Amino acid sequence: MHVELLAIAKHFGRVAALRDVSLRLPTGSRTALIGPNGSGKSTLVRVLMGALTANGEVRCDGVLVGEDRTKLAPRIAYVPQIAPRFAAPVRDVVWAIAKLRGHSVAPIETVAMQLGVDVRALAKRPFRALSGGQRQKVLAAMALASGAELLVLDEPTASMDPKSRGAFFHLVEQLPTATTVLLCSHRLDEIRRLVDHVVVLADGEVAWDGNASAYLDEHAEAIVEVCAQGEPAVEWLLARGFARGAAGWWSKSLPVAERARLLADLGRSLNGQVQDVVARDVERLQPKSGGPRS
Amino acid sequence: MSFAREVAVAARLDFAEVLRSRWLVFCLVVHALLAAMFVLVGLRESGVIGFTGMGRALMSWSHALLFLLPLLALSATGQVVNTARDDGSLELLLANPVSRTGYFVGTSLVRIAALCVPLWIAMPLMALVGALAFGQEVPWSFLLRGMAVSTSLLLCFVALGLWVSTLVRNQAKALMLTILIWAAGVALIDFALIGVMLQWELPPSAVFALAALNPVQCARLALLSAAQPELSTFGPVGFFLANHVGSTGLLWAGIGWPLLLGLTAWTWSLGAFRRRDLL
Repeated sequence: MHVELLAIAKHFGRVAALRDVSLRLPTGSRTALIGPNGSGKSTLVRVLMGALTANGEVRCDGVLVGEDRTKLAPRIAYVPQIAPRFAAPVRDVVWAIAKLRGHSVAPIETVAMQLGVDVRALAKRPFRALSGGQRQKVLAAMALASGAELLVLDEPTASMDPKSRGAFFHLVEQLPTATTVLLCSHRLDEIRRLVDHVVVLADGEVAWDGNASAYLDEHAEAIVEVCAQGEPAVEWLLARGFARGAAGWWSKSLPVAERARLLADLGRSLNGQVQDVVARDVERLQPKSGGPRS
Repeated sequence: MSFAREVAVAARLDFAEVLRSRWLVFCLVVHALLAAMFVLVGLRESGVIGFTGMGRALMSWSHALLFLLPLLALSATGQVVNTARDDGSLELLLANPVSRTGYFVGTSLVRIAALCVPLWIAMPLMALVGALAFGQEVPWSFLLRGMAVSTSLLLCFVALGLWVSTLVRNQAKALMLTILIWAAGVALIDFALIGVMLQWELPPSAVFALAALNPVQCARLALLSAAQPELSTFGPVGFFLANHVGSTGLLWAGIGWPLLLGLTAWTWSLGAFRRRDLL
């Protein structure tokens, strides 16, 4: 599904939540929508979903969302940031969504199982009684099983455990190439694995719009943490700018591009002296440069 | 996606909410307690206001319901939409192929059923218990009149509750408004209005108009219309109206005006729900 948001502006009283935001999501694109809290991400998603009215136009395959939402709704699936607190049992909620989308509950159960939640075992429990992670998995399963042409995912893995997050990534990667994905996320691993395009919102405006690798190069920084003991290891780590931490741990931040080389060096030089290694990416507060803008 | 299916899905999810909050059970218990009280206490021969036995018990119960039903209806509906909005269920459900109209109709039907079904069970049951256990003759016409008037009043206040929950986003403010509406409904009958008229020297026509616009007052007069119009039982407003529009007119006004008011409030709520921001 091809999505166009043209000159979207939204005010809540005197507060401008979105100012002249324009985006194009081509069919099959995978886009991350990121930005600090209050930057307008959720508002933009809700405008796209037709839950909020706004100035400007939202078109999905040329159809205005505000005019014919019910016609478009079967082609769009949504995982909200905050899982709803239905009093209905899990069975009823799953049945309701499957019924509305015109398929059986079996695909939802299958996907949920892949995400690590057994819908049948939880069938009689009130949806609101599930843990945050379980609710998010069921919601993700309902969206992924829908066969929708546009998936809108608002921080879909925020409450998931690492194993389920891995399964979720795998399922999104398995989606048909024509499926358009819009992902609101702060997690760099999600951006790295799931998207090819990044849009940054700040104060209700598009502050950055470019491909994902350029964004990661501009904004991501690698953190390498090493637990090592022994004089040679300490000298090697100090020589490469590692800072000493507690319980034998050392850490160093470096550009993402240099991480692989450092880890390879580490493996060669400190073979047998390293007890553990953790490498992760974090978002840099100050990007290297301004980066591309829309 | 057919509209009926949308309504059915919304209704099933809301019915679970009704069951969880025990509204159905609560209404049944309230009606059962009231019915038991009036059957046991009221089934005695009495000449008061022209009713005896079962008729008197039903009349007393109906009068109690005039004050209770609006409170039940407002409590059951005054926070339906704004709660669903706050807890995220509205956002998720309406991101799926269900129209706002489908959701609103489904939810309204469930709330109406949760309030009306206990009443429709309890009233005839009370009459049957009176007939079987106490050998009383069932006044079927008054029973039907009481059920029709009570149902009309329930529908009116269900719609007013939905109106509040749709237009007032803040749940605490919505609760306050429903209490105010209930208080106005039960206070703006003869006694309070006459007091207001005397205190502020309002013209009697304004007081009569205010009283006649109050659906609770209309329902009360419709119930009383089965009796001879006497000033002591009808009160000044009722006595005036009974002598001008007649017994049948009072009955139709008591059923029709709350229904019309409810329909207006419900239509307004639906329009606002369809047009306004969901969140």
